[in-house]
Amino acid sequence: METIVSTGVIGISIGAQYALISIGFTLIFGIMGVVNFAHGAFYIIGGYFAYTLTSLLGAPFIFAVVLATFLTALVGYFVEIIVVEKYVSDHMATMLLTLGVYQIMVTGATLAYGAEPVDFRFPISGALRWHGYFVPYSTLVVLVVCAVAIVSIYYLVFMTRYGIALRAMADDGAVARAQGIPAARMFPMAFAIATGLAGLTGAIVTPILVLEPQGGEAILGKAFIVVILGGLGSVTGATASAFIVGLIEAYSSVYLGGSKGALALFVLVVLILLVRPQGLIGSSARKA
Amino acid sequence: MVSDRRRDFKLDLWGIVLLVPLLISPFVTKDVLISSLTYQISIGVAATMGIYVMLRMGLLSFSVPSFMTIGGYAAAISATAGWTDIFFLTAISFVAPALVAAPLGAIVLRLKGIYFIFITFIFNEILQILLFETPDLTGGANGIPGVPPATLFGHELAAQPQLVAVTAALAIVAALITFVVTHRFRAEFTSIEENETLAESLGVALWKYRTIGFIASAGVSGLAGFALVNMLSTAHPSLFASWSVNSYIAYAFVGGRGTLLGVAVGSALLIAVTNYFSAFANLSAGLFGVLLIVVMMLAPSGIVGSFVKLADYIRSRSVTRSAPSIKEKQNEFG
Repeated sequence: METIVSTGVIGISIGAQYALISIGFTLIFGIMGVVNFAHGAFYIIGGYFAYTLTSLLGAPFIFAVVLATFLTALVGYFVEIIVVEKYVSDHMATMLLTLGVYQIMVTGATLAYGAEPVDFRFPISGALRWHGYFVPYSTLVVLVVCAVAIVSIYYLVFMTRYGIALRAMADDGAVARAQGIPAARMFPMAFAIATGLAGLTGAIVTPILVLEPQGGEAILGKAFIVVILGGLGSVTGATASAFIVGLIEAYSSVYLGGSKGALALFVLVVLILLVRPQGLIGSSARKA
Repeated sequence: MVSDRRRDFKLDLWGIVLLVPLLISPFVTKDVLISSLTYQISIGVAATMGIYVMLRMGLLSFSVPSFMTIGGYAAAISATAGWTDIFFLTAISFVAPALVAAPLGAIVLRLKGIYFIFITFIFNEILQILLFETPDLTGGANGIPGVPPATLFGHELAAQPQLVAVTAALAIVAALITFVVTHRFRAEFTSIEENETLAESLGVALWKYRTIGFIASAGVSGLAGFALVNMLSTAHPSLFASWSVNSYIAYAFVGGRGTLLGVAVGSALLIAVTNYFSAFANLSAGLFGVLLIVVMMLAPSGIVGSFVKLADYIRSRSVTRSAPSIKEKQNEFG
């Protein structure tokens, strides 16, 4: 019983991490129609920003995470303006441009910090033990941060004028523009928010997992799976499916062994793609 | 860019002709750098053909590494079992992925756009896991080391120049197959790429031509897998990593996705540039990125495509200049 509960908590924590990274990915697609192949790189540089601030400059971890999120968002903002903005309507071009951005960012990280993982550790160690239940403190912290970030994003997207404008752009860009919504201002901000989320995920998750230049590939692969399950462009779908994926991963790694669980997950995703390409929850916000 | 059947035929033919020096070079020079460049370009060209065929129908396929895996492992298993004849290995490395692609295509080709990209990417991931889960067949995490070299009429092609020549020959075979398929079904592929709804309404059986393209793409990718395994004498999961497809996509788009010449030029250029900067190995991926961005921004149709556009522009200008204007005609007739 203890194992089931502890594994469930870990699964929810993994799900929260996936939700953060996937909400950003799906937000960019939903609003701009851009498949951001550089999303994994923003996760990585978020981690490296936090690492630099804490390990090299001695900043407190919380401050480092906040600043890393902001700096990653800033990089995302400029990437959108310089590289993506002009080609937003061309799916193929933006895919390749962001692929190029990914490779440049990974190379930059490799040159700056080396190809090997850096020694970046979560500042809190130990675990919560209660009646046989075991949950690492780091997992709980990540869970809380992710929950706050997800709630904030929901508030922004569904409760503010800016969020309404973003959703209007996602729903029908031409009509939204005709209503006076400035796409030129909305797109870079949306990109910055989404990449900021990736940076936040990188800053709090890489000290637990690993911080290396190539780490973005795996996380982007996970984001792919989550957004397919949830429905490309759907924030709610991405959030829900992230937790489903997190729980499946956690339980399968304990009860089946890692690769069998992953295989089952991939097969499930393929089936969903074939039967219901718009995802498990709701309809996609934008045609692919 | 205006499509011109004769011009495209010539450009595609030039794409194959450009590969012939790769076949000759191992026998005229023993230079290590040229040898290395030759086999890298050959494998790059063969793998990029898999991308190119699907792009001709407007589909970006991420499944090239998985079909390279099937082709490479099929050849490795066969060679290890004693069937080392090069014609047999070439055939098996083409047929095995093509056989997998036929039923798979019936399922995945229902999807398009980003969903097609996702499903082909996931196929790579599934195959990588299957490699680790089937150690009896594939060697699991250890792969299949010590794959015997291919033989030609009983003679082992084990010397370095012979290995490179086999790789180059496989690239040419892949290019020829691609050439035949894309020209035989040129009209259908082009109509699907430009407007599939219209194509379907005009009687083009989308599923049929997409499946043909997908099978051809799988087959030529399999040849690239065999070339890689034969060159390195080993079949290992790390050789066929899912994200290696990025490089092949970059080759196609930088060179120009519209012609075989573009594939050849893109592969040769990017691989040569990467090698030129080999002293700064860490920089090569970034250089790829810069090139990809620069080309997509300045020349979205790639290097070859841009030259074709320039040639079209110059031709149209010279035609306009040589043709008499309406005013001149009015003067002529008083």
